[in-house]
Amino acid sequence: MNLYAQLEDIVGPDYVSNEDFVLESYAHGITGVGTKRPAIVVIPESAQEISEILKVANKKKMNVIPRGGGAGLLEGVLPLVSGGIVIDMTRMNNVIDFNENTMTVTVECGITWGKLNSFLMERGYYTGTLGPGSGMSAVVGGGLSHNTVGGGGAAKYGAVTRHCVGLEVVLPNGQILTLGSSASKYIKEPFSKWGLGPDYLGLFLGDQGIHGVKTKATLLVYPRPKYRAYKTFSIRRRGDKLWPEIILELRKKGDLGLYDVFYFPELIMQALQGLLIVKDIVVFKSIKERDPKGRAVMFYTMEAETQEALEANQKIVDEIFLNKKGITAFGPEIEDGNIAKWHYEMNGHWQVYHGFWGVMGEKSVPQTGEHHIPVHQYPDLMKKFEKWESENSELLNKVRAMSGVGSSLLCDHTTVEVDSGLTIYNIPEYHEINDKLWRSYLNMIVESGGMPYMAGMRFSRALIDVSAFSDEFYSFMKTIKDTLDPNHILSKGKYYFE
Amino acid sequence: MTEETLKHIKELEDMIRSCSGIGDCREAYMYSVNRIQVCPIYEHSPKFEVYSARGRLRILMSILDRKLDVSKKLAEIFYLCTTCGNCHTICHGTYSDNIDLFVHNFIDHVKVWEAFRADLFEMGLAMPRHLELMNSIKENNNPYFEPHKDRIKWLEGRKFPETAENVFFMGCTEPYRMPELIKKIIKVFDKCGIDYTIVHPNEVCCGSIALRIGDINTVKELAKKNIEAFKKAGAKRILIHCAGCFKTIKQNYPEILGEELPFEVVHVTEYLEQLLKEGKIKLNKKIEDKVTYHDPCHIGRASNIYDPPRNLIKSIPDLEFIEFERNRENAWCCGAGGGMKSAFPEKSVEIATDRIKEAEKIGVNKIVSACPFCEMNLSDATKESGSNIKVIDIFELLDESLD
Repeated sequence: MNLYAQLEDIVGPDYVSNEDFVLESYAHGITGVGTKRPAIVVIPESAQEISEILKVANKKKMNVIPRGGGAGLLEGVLPLVSGGIVIDMTRMNNVIDFNENTMTVTVECGITWGKLNSFLMERGYYTGTLGPGSGMSAVVGGGLSHNTVGGGGAAKYGAVTRHCVGLEVVLPNGQILTLGSSASKYIKEPFSKWGLGPDYLGLFLGDQGIHGVKTKATLLVYPRPKYRAYKTFSIRRRGDKLWPEIILELRKKGDLGLYDVFYFPELIMQALQGLLIVKDIVVFKSIKERDPKGRAVMFYTMEAETQEALEANQKIVDEIFLNKKGITAFGPEIEDGNIAKWHYEMNGHWQVYHGFWGVMGEKSVPQTGEHHIPVHQYPDLMKKFEKWESENSELLNKVRAMSGVGSSLLCDHTTVEVDSGLTIYNIPEYHEINDKLWRSYLNMIVESGGMPYMAGMRFSRALIDVSAFSDEFYSFMKTIKDTLDPNHILSKGKYYFE
Repeated sequence: MTEETLKHIKELEDMIRSCSGIGDCREAYMYSVNRIQVCPIYEHSPKFEVYSARGRLRILMSILDRKLDVSKKLAEIFYLCTTCGNCHTICHGTYSDNIDLFVHNFIDHVKVWEAFRADLFEMGLAMPRHLELMNSIKENNNPYFEPHKDRIKWLEGRKFPETAENVFFMGCTEPYRMPELIKKIIKVFDKCGIDYTIVHPNEVCCGSIALRIGDINTVKELAKKNIEAFKKAGAKRILIHCAGCFKTIKQNYPEILGEELPFEVVHVTEYLEQLLKEGKIKLNKKIEDKVTYHDPCHIGRASNIYDPPRNLIKSIPDLEFIEFERNRENAWCCGAGGGMKSAFPEKSVEIATDRIKEAEKIGVNKIVSACPFCEMNLSDATKESGSNIKVIDIFELLDESLD
């Protein structure tokens, strides 16, 4: 029986395709640079079906690319070699169990963060961190593979992986494995990942999909606090230095209920407000009206269970911001320029960041280098970015690309996620240079001490390109990969596992 | 494929290459603004990427790059779209009047879909059923295979003046398929004392179907004929009820002909709302019922007419109005538009059934709309699903409530 017929037998005829146009739609990254076409796309609806698919693929030694929302920015779901099987997870998008006694939700991994949180918020809960900035389309499986932040809540809850206490994965050999407390047959409800031995569940978190296909996840959920406060500040100067100062002061005060803290540097505000790039185009209408010079902006959102607690924390936080020279606050409403309120109340996180990428006009798309650093390194990192920009100015000019830092947001402890990268034009003649620039940029970030958070194909290879890992570490990684996936069928090419 | 055969999408290449591929057009839930799903086709498909706007833009990019050939099967995928514009709304939506991100305005999705259909039509790849409709439009001035003279059969000999300030554009669907509805519209006009005329026999199909199918040349011809008829009648204002005709004449005619229209184009609900505001009409009679309003895509998302029909409904004494969970710019398409009802009738009704279930969930007795296509398709869905919900046009309520 040929591959198509075998897969058709497994998932049914409606959910398998090898039409050229279907395959082509799975062979594009954000930048428009096409990658290799897969041989076939399947859309299974159960772990059992995925298990069968992987058994077939293993027999034929075919590359398999699991794909969630396809919203990742570092080509994590793109086939790097021709002829593979794409497993599109989006049919597996149901809430399986919501358990108020353990305050957990168990879902199929193809569910979007948006759908899951709509379900939870109707019941007064949320996942804390609301996935990535693409939370409307990104799925839970992808978030766990990438160690996602950015969709809201990272200052309070950190990355989404922190809240995963149970996982069902299909190993490359087709074996279905339950991880976390449910690995014990005597434990009926998943509630923790510790106690049954080492953190084997952790092998599949932030793994970029190289170890197995995530099919089911149990996440801790949290009651959504009743009281919220938001404030947006205009930063007159020295934003890059004030950002780490403020974050460290905030963190040293302990738990202030901060849900998010964001920084938009002056350059990005000016670009967005059309002062540098495009004249007379309104971006953040309200901010522009009040702050036409396009100064840097910082904002926070905060939660508390009582009004008193909220006010007490807000007083401390406001003092930290407003005691700095050159910082002033916008008014309380969105129309006053308080984008923090928009972010919290209207899922602004999910709507704004993709907009930033088009900052250079039509056809401009991102080549991201988003990464994590401890916040105190921020000013030094900015200097390294400037140096890279100056060294690569000729190439950048040639393809009219721009490099820079967009927003930064507070994550776990003193870690910040830095939304740096390139904005390039999606023009076929520019693709080769764009690609070269992207590689160089990612290499620079790794060499500067930046830690990728969503690695995908791009960052995972950059780590190897600049020999970030010791031989011992890479060999250890390879041993685990070889054990779980001896034929290297899963996500071939990431970390150069061919 | 040549440059010539792809000329319509080539013109929109910048839009196509502006997609950053994040995929909110595929599925987007936002609790904060009651956003539930986006694309009716994607939701009623096996969920391959090609059923979403993102996947389709990717394909168009590859076609432009000559990496992919256009085939009959591919064409069918692009005709499987209601052109409801919900992908456009989610791609562009910040849901706050104070947050305006210019980068969200680079792609006019519906324009791209219609441009590619124009290329497909010129390559001879339109759906067979669509070609039949086009033949009827060319022969009969309507897509229903009916004689042109029967467009006013329902008028039973009523005469209209040669000229008037207002011209009521009848369209094809109501005169030929829903005569009771168009009689109600006329009755309401009479009750409101509106001075108007019709331009039969010079009125021809507005061209909406031709445009959605991709037959641009025919739309141009039809547009010229209608504009000429309006001018001849001395029209200052064209009043239109059919949502498809409204969008076509108001938005598409100027785009396609490249010139401003010498008259105002007004949806009848806008006009009546104005009369209501000015105190020229009163909705006095009580109606004891529980209704919701279904936003037709062509007058809602495409034309931003959300409040006039609602204000009219809400002015009727005793009538209880409950919003659909998905309303206004988030409204779920009825499934009939973009040539879907003719080429994919079953899929069309499947999509409409979602709306019926949504109406049942909010506990209303009736769905009120202001589009003959929505009314027909939603009614078909009630029959198919065995629902007791009734689907009516807003003019039924207005007729009942006006003295």
